[in-house]
Amino acid sequence: MKPFSRLLCISAALLALNASAAAETPAQQARQQWHQEILTGYEHLAEQAGAFADAAGSWCSSPSEQGRTTTEKAWREAFMAWQAVRFVNFGPIETDNRSWQFQFWPDPKNLIARKARYLLSSDEPATAGTIDDSGVAVQGFPMAEYLLFDQPFNQGERALPAGRSCDLLVLVAGHIRDTADQQLRDWQAFRAPYLANDQYHDTTIKAGMTALEVLEERRLAQPMGLRGNGKRSVYAADAWRSGTSLATLEATVRGLKQHFLPGLTLLLENGNQPELAPRIRSQFDEVLENFPDMDKPMAPLLAEDGHYSELQGLFVDVSQLTTLVNDQAAVALGVVRGFNSSDGD
Amino acid sequence: MNALFRPAPLALTIAAALTAGCANTPSSAQNTQPATRDNVVEHYADLAHATYEDALITARALDEATDRLIENPTEANLAAAKEAWLASRVPYQQSEVFRFGNTIVDDWEGQLNAWPLDEGLIDYVEPAEYQYELGNAGATANIIASDSITVGGENLDVSELSPQLLADLNEVGGSEANVATGYHAVEFLLWGQDLHGFEPGAGERPVTDYARGADCTNGNCDRRAQYLDAVTDLLVSDLEWMVAQWEEGNGDNYRAKLVSANPDAGIQKMLFGMGSLSLGELAGERMKVALEANSYEDEHDCFSDNTHNSHYYNGKGIQNVYTGTYRRVDGSLVTGPSLSDLVEKSNPELDARLNAQLDDSMEALEAMRAKAQSSQNPMAFDVMIRPGNAKGERIINNTIMALVEQTGSIEQAARELGIQALAPDDAGHSF
Repeated sequence: MKPFSRLLCISAALLALNASAAAETPAQQARQQWHQEILTGYEHLAEQAGAFADAAGSWCSSPSEQGRTTTEKAWREAFMAWQAVRFVNFGPIETDNRSWQFQFWPDPKNLIARKARYLLSSDEPATAGTIDDSGVAVQGFPMAEYLLFDQPFNQGERALPAGRSCDLLVLVAGHIRDTADQQLRDWQAFRAPYLANDQYHDTTIKAGMTALEVLEERRLAQPMGLRGNGKRSVYAADAWRSGTSLATLEATVRGLKQHFLPGLTLLLENGNQPELAPRIRSQFDEVLENFPDMDKPMAPLLAEDGHYSELQGLFVDVSQLTTLVNDQAAVALGVVRGFNSSDGD
Repeated sequence: MNALFRPAPLALTIAAALTAGCANTPSSAQNTQPATRDNVVEHYADLAHATYEDALITARALDEATDRLIENPTEANLAAAKEAWLASRVPYQQSEVFRFGNTIVDDWEGQLNAWPLDEGLIDYVEPAEYQYELGNAGATANIIASDSITVGGENLDVSELSPQLLADLNEVGGSEANVATGYHAVEFLLWGQDLHGFEPGAGERPVTDYARGADCTNGNCDRRAQYLDAVTDLLVSDLEWMVAQWEEGNGDNYRAKLVSANPDAGIQKMLFGMGSLSLGELAGERMKVALEANSYEDEHDCFSDNTHNSHYYNGKGIQNVYTGTYRRVDGSLVTGPSLSDLVEKSNPELDARLNAQLDDSMEALEAMRAKAQSSQNPMAFDVMIRPGNAKGERIINNTIMALVEQTGSIEQAARELGIQALAPDDAGHSF
């Protein structure tokens, strides 16, 4: 063998050795995948939040009917971008309760309306500093939704694009944009600790499980009157003012499918129950097949029994998905449920 | 309120806290009886029984004090009734740790401790300061001022204010905010609405709200007195029922079923109750929501501003279950085989850490209580949550973090004892 080729041979062997030393476990691969997928979700959120802030700014500086339509649409797209990554309950999103800053929910006591009334009637006009200090009910998508969609508010004298209301909308949209930008930067910086720390493995799986549980129990069963006292109430749902409760649900399921499922699939395929992966994927599709038909306000669906059955169909599909992931996949992956926020009242 | 709450990845918090815990002697170490799963569950039932019995004793004292107020509405009798109410909260709040996991308690407690309530269902309110639950048709029904009320299209005769009627009216119209009964209804009838918002001061109901004849303020004093009489009677009979459920040798009651079942089921309930109260309920619903949204509507004892004590005794209840100890209202101490003993046997380091964390959270709760009751510049919970109150925020956040940390160790203790799923998958069944 000539020296040259021998050298080549050695380096090939070395390369192979390196590769095997660096060979990643499925768990490591899954975390890499999760980090990347969630990153794209946060990128999308930052982009849409920026577009919403721009739309609100231009509408309020030169009001027009078209401006309202554009702003409402931009709000909706940014809000849906948030829904897609709403399941992530660990990492930088925990800083200063960013999750609640984006969406304080549920709000049974209508804190949003109370805070809006207070800010709009106080002697001093609100500033960015006011928004920073006013708590999570003021800082996110639900406050913007109130200003844009609340019916009594928009029939009153303060209806948008009235001066102070518009100023408040622009400030809130600015806060959402800034939070989304910061969250994106922090998530990028979070890559190394996330990949290095094995405890994020279970944390990420549990985040998906919790999101599905919340989806089934709080976002569907509760307003449908299937829990507690059995009373149907649209106010228990997300985003009832804009009639987007079910659209948010779709966005969350799509988000889970896009940002959570790939990592989960990788783990299942390398585990002892690989057959679960395609079953879960197809159950995601079952849920999503309800849309876009189900993309409508929830209130009329709750009001009429004929339409209520459509909700029941969706609920069954969601429950099956939750069972597959939270019971079967969790057991297959050895993830034990711990305490979480839903254990309270 | 069921807001999403997850303060920190628990596992990571535990890692950070690993070095922080120093060895504390478990308070039940002096027990001579070696702990087994069976006797730990039995002693848990003893603790529950003692706690509910104290709740009953203090509720009877409250009932008598309110009877005196009704009979003779003086400032002194109103003050005495308020004192009796505050004293009744001490054991009851310690009993809440028995709620999660024991379906029999959870199904029953709504009639005693439901909150937040839409108090306009019961009596007059200041409309400008009254924010009720969205969609609640009964929120302004004002039972005291009416012989009949209409809630959600249904007409109800409320002319005779009996304990049974009030029990039937609880959650009328399907709204959980329609709290007609329990501690917070009594609290409202004694203190009235707190109209101070984020400023110092609790409710200021005048004693003349119970005066007879022309001295009566705000109308319907006789009916208000009738309501207070009925609602305190109901509280006593509800607690009697629960005491009987935990009594030893009382037929086929809940205690009998609990101690004859697989002890692992009992151990699971103990740990589930501790963790659920610690994290989701106390740290989450009762502190974090109020703090982060700056919402005094989400203050637990909002009429009396006794929230700091309610939180403190919730925390105490968690510690009681772990250490198997309970200081009764007569000063005597109940002790026996505990979870702490079981964990110590298999993992002394974890046991020491969890005991230290329970002490830490009690210290944080004590700091909150001390600040609220301070003779100089007291700061009640509703002032702590005022926007921009950095000092108040720090006090509350310290408490939340302490509760979060101990919950992580409670999870570990569950694993240590071989309890796999902390979810009460038996919900809705007795076992």
